[in-house]
Amino acid sequence: MPATEAGAPTVGPAPAAHAETKPQKRISWYPYALIAPTMITLVVVSLIPFIYTAYLSFHEMNYARVGDFAGFANYKVLLTDGRFWHSMWIATLIILIAVPIEFALGLIGALILNQRIRFRSLIIPILFIPTMMAPIVVAILWKIMLAGSWGLLSYNILERFGILEKLSVFASPDLALYTIIFIDIWEWTPFMTLALFAGLQSLPVNPYRAAAVDGATPLQTFFRLTMPLMIPLMAVIGLIRFIDAFKIFDTIFILTAGGPGSTTESVSLFTYKMVFDWWKMGPATATAVIIWLLFFVFCNVFYQVAKKKLGAF
Amino acid sequence: MRNNRWKGILGGFMSLALLWALSVTAGAWTYEEAAKPYRGMTISVLDEITPMQEAMQKYVVNFEKETGIKVDYQLLNHFEVISKGQADMLTGRGAYDAVMLHSPQLGLLLKAGVVRSIDDLMKNPKLFNPNLDLDDLVQPAWDSLAKFKGKTYGFLNWNYNSVYWARKDLFGHPEEKAAFKKRYGYDLAPAETFQQVRDIAEFFTRKKGEKLAGKALATDSYGIVIEGIKGGTTLWDVWYTFVLNWGGDFFDKEGRPTIDRKENVEAVKFWASLWKYAPPGTAEYSLIDVPTLMGNGIAAQSIAWSDFGLGVDQPGKSKYAGQFEYRGIPRNADYSGPRAAGLEPSFIVISTHSKKVEPTFLFLQWLIDKRIQDDFITKTGWGVPVRNSSFDLPVLAKSRLSSMYAAMKETMKYGIAKPKAPKLYEIFDVLSAIIQEIALGKKTAEQGLKEGQQKVLSLCKKCFL
Repeated sequence: MPATEAGAPTVGPAPAAHAETKPQKRISWYPYALIAPTMITLVVVSLIPFIYTAYLSFHEMNYARVGDFAGFANYKVLLTDGRFWHSMWIATLIILIAVPIEFALGLIGALILNQRIRFRSLIIPILFIPTMMAPIVVAILWKIMLAGSWGLLSYNILERFGILEKLSVFASPDLALYTIIFIDIWEWTPFMTLALFAGLQSLPVNPYRAAAVDGATPLQTFFRLTMPLMIPLMAVIGLIRFIDAFKIFDTIFILTAGGPGSTTESVSLFTYKMVFDWWKMGPATATAVIIWLLFFVFCNVFYQVAKKKLGAF
Repeated sequence: MRNNRWKGILGGFMSLALLWALSVTAGAWTYEEAAKPYRGMTISVLDEITPMQEAMQKYVVNFEKETGIKVDYQLLNHFEVISKGQADMLTGRGAYDAVMLHSPQLGLLLKAGVVRSIDDLMKNPKLFNPNLDLDDLVQPAWDSLAKFKGKTYGFLNWNYNSVYWARKDLFGHPEEKAAFKKRYGYDLAPAETFQQVRDIAEFFTRKKGEKLAGKALATDSYGIVIEGIKGGTTLWDVWYTFVLNWGGDFFDKEGRPTIDRKENVEAVKFWASLWKYAPPGTAEYSLIDVPTLMGNGIAAQSIAWSDFGLGVDQPGKSKYAGQFEYRGIPRNADYSGPRAAGLEPSFIVISTHSKKVEPTFLFLQWLIDKRIQDDFITKTGWGVPVRNSSFDLPVLAKSRLSSMYAAMKETMKYGIAKPKAPKLYEIFDVLSAIIQEIALGKKTAEQGLKEGQQKVLSLCKKCFL
């Protein structure tokens, strides 16, 4: 609505003079200004270090000092090292087992919480505890619980009642990795539950009322209504957890240090050793770049699939 | 009259002697005098956090009072002191003037040229304390740690060592003594040989319900507990001690890998055989778990780090406190060559990036000064000596734990620093994984060490610096 000089609104078409002037091209700086702090922070703490890491990975590294350009030499050293591939496999195995279980249990937990069960206001804060704990505290806690011959659980229950009598879970090449996975599930399932519960709470009510009117069964409601509505959130949470699980370090470092043998040596632990124990900075930086590339490709594929097939994003 | 004359002469002599003494004293080397040019400076030192270093952190204020040089004495845990200290030195950041190093770190850091030798400082009469009495430092720990290719890189600051540890109440029980003698043909006593260690381990491994020292066991009891976790801890110290006592080594004199030699195979087999008598969690036991288990009375004997033993064998810390007996690391009865014992001597070195070399050097001398060591140990009430004379201090010699100090002394006779190999951490990491698999029965000693030889050869053909 055009305004008069006095500022009072007028009715009808705008004066011709106004119509002839070119519409002013406004600089839409406002959205950029809003995202600028985040982008600057990301560039400073994430992008610049990564670019520098990539730069280092193509150079000879004399301990911490940058030497001559080395082409793909560091990548060759890394990719021909059996330990690198083994550690990648261990991290992959952890993801493949832990994340789906955490997801499934988290979803079940969220659906139960969503039923307005009794003591919900008490259960929710308790669920925060494992996720709020620092991973190193989680590791020490489970060490106290499951340490062979003196752990609270292992000594009083597992060994006393003849379960794992001659075995310690962290000392067994067959069980150590699965115990690490179990601890990861213990730590992160509550996070999944709470995140998915928050999603369920924010779903619109009307479609559910319509479904009830149409006589939909609870299963039909879940698969045809809840799931499609939750897919975007599930995709994001799943992706975050997937990436996070791949980086598992603290619990392994404290509980098994990668052993017995190298059965629990994840790629994060292997990289840590390369950097801080062996000072092989060249291959270590190459590991960072390779992992970044893998995740870049994976996240893009995941994004496209989730967008096109599942309607997420 | 005559008496007065003599008195006058004597008085004259005494006055002259007093004047001479005063003049000598005035010129004597003191930390206060040597530190005058550096008064008001602050030096930054990184050390590892253990109860000993925590006590030292409080004690260094005395250096500040004596010299006017301030010390920012920072403590970090084992892993951080290695990673942060090395990072500071290798990147040339120079945040620390001095950093505590464990002997396995030396190869890498000497190769990188970031450890400053102290030879020139020791030749400087203004800086070097002529009464430091370096002959009193524990040997061969100091020489093997700090001297390399004709240069000296520091003194001996800490002297972590492992000792043999036994339960006095079990070993002294009449029924157990009689049963042991009947079964093995010799008296039950703290082991002097590794073969005795194995006999004792076998003897005291009992199932729940069986009797131990006249009482029915509520849970299984084990003959021995030893470290087994891999990683940056001290597992290698345990099996490396066995290897050396069997006449083996993982390198020849030139540093070429000899992982799969016969002596090593035999030593590893023997070491692995002890796991049969150890609790099932051995592969997860670190240097902290071992004393914890001994303190809880789960095993009859152990080979453990003495400083942790000192922490556990205290009233209120363990219900078996006072029931332990200690010895030096046993020998191999079947080998007459040189003995070895688990020792991890460590020291504080001056970084080549330090801009305050002289005051730092004064501080390093002060730390190991006999006067300071005597006072520090006496005030703390315990310690792991770096000076031979410290063992004679009443606080240690007449201590409740005197057998511990005697055991330390015995271990120190045979313990040396790790070889100076730049890739030592990586080598031991590779070997620790294999050694664990051998002990857990996943590989034979022959297979494992052959694999180890190939893997170490792929890291270095000549591994010493």
